[in-house]
Formats: sequence, structure tokens, C-alpha cells
Amino acid sequence: MSEQTAIRIEHLGKRFGAGPLVLDDVNLSIRTGEFVCLLGASGCGKSTLLNLIAGLDRPTTGTIDVPPGGAAVMFQESALMPWLTARQNVELALRLRGVPRAARRGEALELLDTVNLADAAEKRPHELSGGMRQRVALARSLAQDRPVLLMDEPFAALDAITRDLLHEELERVWRRTGRTIVFVTHNVREAARLGERVVLLSSRPGRIAGEWRIGTTEGRRIESPEVASLSIEITEQLRKEIRRNAA
Amino acid sequence: MPHDTTALLDSSTATAGADAGRASATPGHDDLRSLEAGLDRLQTDPDRAPGAWRRLTTSVVPPIVFVVALVAAWQLTVMIAQPRPDIVPGPLDVVGAISQSWEAGRVQLAVATSLERGVLGFLIAVAVGTPLGLLLAEVRPLRRAMGPIISGLQVLPSVAWVPAAIIWFGLTDATVYFVVLMGAVPSIVNGLISGIEQVPPQLRRVGTVLGAGPARLALLIVLPAALPGYVAGLKQGWAFSWRSLMAAEIIAVGGTIGFGLGSMLQQSRELADLGGVLATILVILAIGILIELAFFAPLERRMLRRRGLLVHGGAR
Repeated sequence: MSEQTAIRIEHLGKRFGAGPLVLDDVNLSIRTGEFVCLLGASGCGKSTLLNLIAGLDRPTTGTIDVPPGGAAVMFQESALMPWLTARQNVELALRLRGVPRAARRGEALELLDTVNLADAAEKRPHELSGGMRQRVALARSLAQDRPVLLMDEPFAALDAITRDLLHEELERVWRRTGRTIVFVTHNVREAARLGERVVLLSSRPGRIAGEWRIGTTEGRRIESPEVASLSIEITEQLRKEIRRNAA
Repeated sequence: MPHDTTALLDSSTATAGADAGRASATPGHDDLRSLEAGLDRLQTDPDRAPGAWRRLTTSVVPPIVFVVALVAAWQLTVMIAQPRPDIVPGPLDVVGAISQSWEAGRVQLAVATSLERGVLGFLIAVAVGTPLGLLLAEVRPLRRAMGPIISGLQVLPSVAWVPAAIIWFGLTDATVYFVVLMGAVPSIVNGLISGIEQVPPQLRRVGTVLGAGPARLALLIVLPAALPGYVAGLKQGWAFSWRSLMAAEIIAVGGTIGFGLGSMLQQSRELADLGGVLATILVILAIGILIELAFFAPLERRMLRRRGLLVHGGAR
């Protein structure tokens, strides 16, 4: 693997048992520190691809190279442990990473501070709003300290205002930590807002159907005109792909 | 490499002190911070734990009022209808019976004997039931084989074991403990199994993603997540222990078996002392309620509140 490539996927195919092909000949190479959005309609195998990269599942054909540290994963549901406080949830990840007990508390508080939740450290998940829970989950996946962060529709269940803020938060964390991020979404605007590169997957089987690179990513907002025009372009292609299933 | 936490920490500690760090961050970041803080405030309510006074008026006063009314109605009936006191004794007769056996030291002895057996038997049942439940929950073939039998044992009244136990162990404490165990262990095992079954699969997945092996997954994630089911099983296990104990003590009297509440009940019946019988029933009932109120209820309430499973306040 070259030093610049974090994830290399070659001729990847996946089928579950004797079922239909879910992913077909997917080729993708992701630079170290790149922010890639995987976009597609339902049934395009986005989550399957993410699970394969995470090592939660094995490919049927082809290969996936990920950096030796592996990948951290963040899900749509925050999946925080309900009996632990925000800080203890982050500490759990540190503990499983092998951080000595004495260092855990301080590091957990620092990580919560990076997602602006230092004041809520002693709160339990049920006392937090959906957006706050996802930020704790983000802090937890940062605590894993893996070079790659995989995100499976992490903001899909949030209201628009909260999601907008979390986009900013995530972008800031990405710039600050230099992690490689693979962000799965079915929201075109979200992909156009966040990614340096947007990869469109077709459905049944999932293939790469289009790719857009965004030159300047600084200062983008969900309402920016360049985000809107890119969204229109991507949506057109996405609809073409969906229509193909009608035939 | 910029993608490790130390780099991440450096950039925030470089500005010496958390507050200073916050103040001197980039203006865009400050903006985001205050925005997020505002939204967080809007989207959460302060957790309102009910005050001591409110708890008193909502959960302590109503049952007391009910019991007082019940006793008053009982006393009134006895005064108006004037039934035979050996068939329908009044509350005062029952109180008299209790104080009489208190003076004779029999209540204290019986309560001490029964409580000791009940608690010890329950603890043994926990020690047996917990590893058994864990084993059955984690080893699927074993559960398929033994699960139905354990569930069946939970339905079987444990008093049915008394004759067999007397034949095996004679009139000894072993008989009593055997019956208590047969009553309590299935409840504890079933509680733990259902608790573990109800652990959201998502939590296990997170555990795997965070890098937990099977042992740490069980210890750090599955067991704590299964705690509500386990506590429910323990609570039921205690109820079954106490019931089984009373049944065993009523049937198995004599030999080296000490004088428990069940024995006291049986003795009062032989003397046709209905006041004494009712008094003993009340003592048995009171101990059951006391253990529930003093031990299980606070344990359960605390656990549920921590997990946000008690409804009041919290996040929207």
C-alpha cells in the first residue's frame, strides 16, 4: 500500500449465502486524510460496504486493504451504554484500547471537550438530546484512535437544525484530527456538504455509478450555492440509477 | 501522524487551561460552541428527581391510609356484628396474641430463625442460579436442552418437593434449604437468561467494534446491560424463597428443625388459636413487605432511574 492510500478496495464482490449479488466489482481507493461520502438509494449495499471495510464481514470476492490500526465505526443510533455516563462511555472505549486507568478520565474529558460536551460529562445518555448522544458517540469513536473513521448514516435520525450543527462539528474534528472518514448517507445534500469526494453507488447490485471531487471544501454550508448545484447534478444521476430498476 | 489523540489533545492544551483554551479558540469555533450550547439547553430538561416530601405523599401515605381504614372497618364489624371471638377475632385480639408471644420470646425466635434461613437460602440460590443462568444464556445447545425444564420447575410449586426432601434428608435444616433452592433457583436463572436475551444486539456490535473479546464483552457490556432482567429475577427468587420456606416450615415440624414462623403458624393451628394464626400471618406478610421496601425497591428504582427507564423529566 502506498503511503498516501488509506483504504484500497479492488474488484470487491459480496453476496450473502445464495442470495443475489449485493456489491459487484467495486473499486475504490481512498487517500489518507480524505473525507469520502458514499451515497446511494436503499438497497445499494452502502452499509454492507461499510461493514466490509470495518472488518465486521468478509468479502465474497476481491480484496480490501485497510491501515493496520483498523477502523472506528459510528452508527445511526448512538448505541451508548445506558448505564454509563457520557464520560464513562468514552472511558470504556479507552479501556478497551488499553489506555491505563489513570489516564482515562483526563483523556475522556478532553475528547468530550472536542465535541463541546465537557459540561455534560456526568450525564447519562437518557438525559442527553439525540444530537448530544451522537456527539458522545463521535467522541467515543475518536477515543478508539484508529486512523480511519467509518460513519453509517450517523445523523439520519436528527432534526435539520441539529444535523446542520453536527456537520460543522464533524468538519472541524476532521480538519483537526486528519482522520480518513468514510461517511455513508442517502442524503444528497449532506454528501455534497461534507465530502471532498462523493461516490455514488447504484442499487442491486451495488456498483460505483459516479464520482464527484470537490475542489475547495472550506467554508461550505448546507445552503451554499455550490452545494446546491452539486446536489442537483448528483440527484439527476441518482434518479437515473433508480429509474433503471423500474425497467 | 496527525490522526492520533495526542495531537488532538496537544492542540487544545496548547492554550493552557480548559477555559483559556475555549476563549482563545478560533472565532468560528466559539460561534459553534455557543450555538451548540444553546441548542443543547433547548433540547434537554433538567432531571427532576421527586422530592422527599412528594415521595412521602405519593408512595408512603396512600398504603398507610388504606391499612388504617381496613383495620378500622374490621374493628367496626366485630363491634357491631359481635361474632364468636374464636372464629372471627378482632384486631385487638390479634395484637394481643402478638404481644403475648413477644413476651414469651417466641416471635423473636421464629422471626430470627426464618429470616436467617430465608436469607441464607436465597444467597445460596443466587450463588447457584447466577453461573447457571450465565451458562445457559451463552451456550445455546445447553439452553435448548435445559431451558424448558427450568421454566417448568418455575411453575412447579416447590412445596411439592417437601415430602421427597423429608425422605431424603429427614427433619433437618437440609430439607428446608433444599425446598428453598428448588423454589428460588429457577426464577433467578430465568431472570438472568431473559435479561441477557433482551440486550440490544447493537450494544454487542459496539463492543466488538471497540475491540472487546468474548470475556470483556460479557463482563463490561452484556452483564451490565442484562441487569434489569437479573434484578427482576432476584426479586422473584426472593419471593419464591420466602414462600417455599414457609411451606416447608409448616409441613416439616420437629426433628432438628428449629422453630420458625411456619412452625409457629402450625403450632397456633393445633391450639385452635385463630388470633395467634392471624398474628403470625401478619408477621410473615410484614417481613415480606419490609424486605421488598428496604432492599429490592430502592435497588430497582436506582437502577431504572440511572438508565432513564423511570418516567419523569430527562431529554425530549
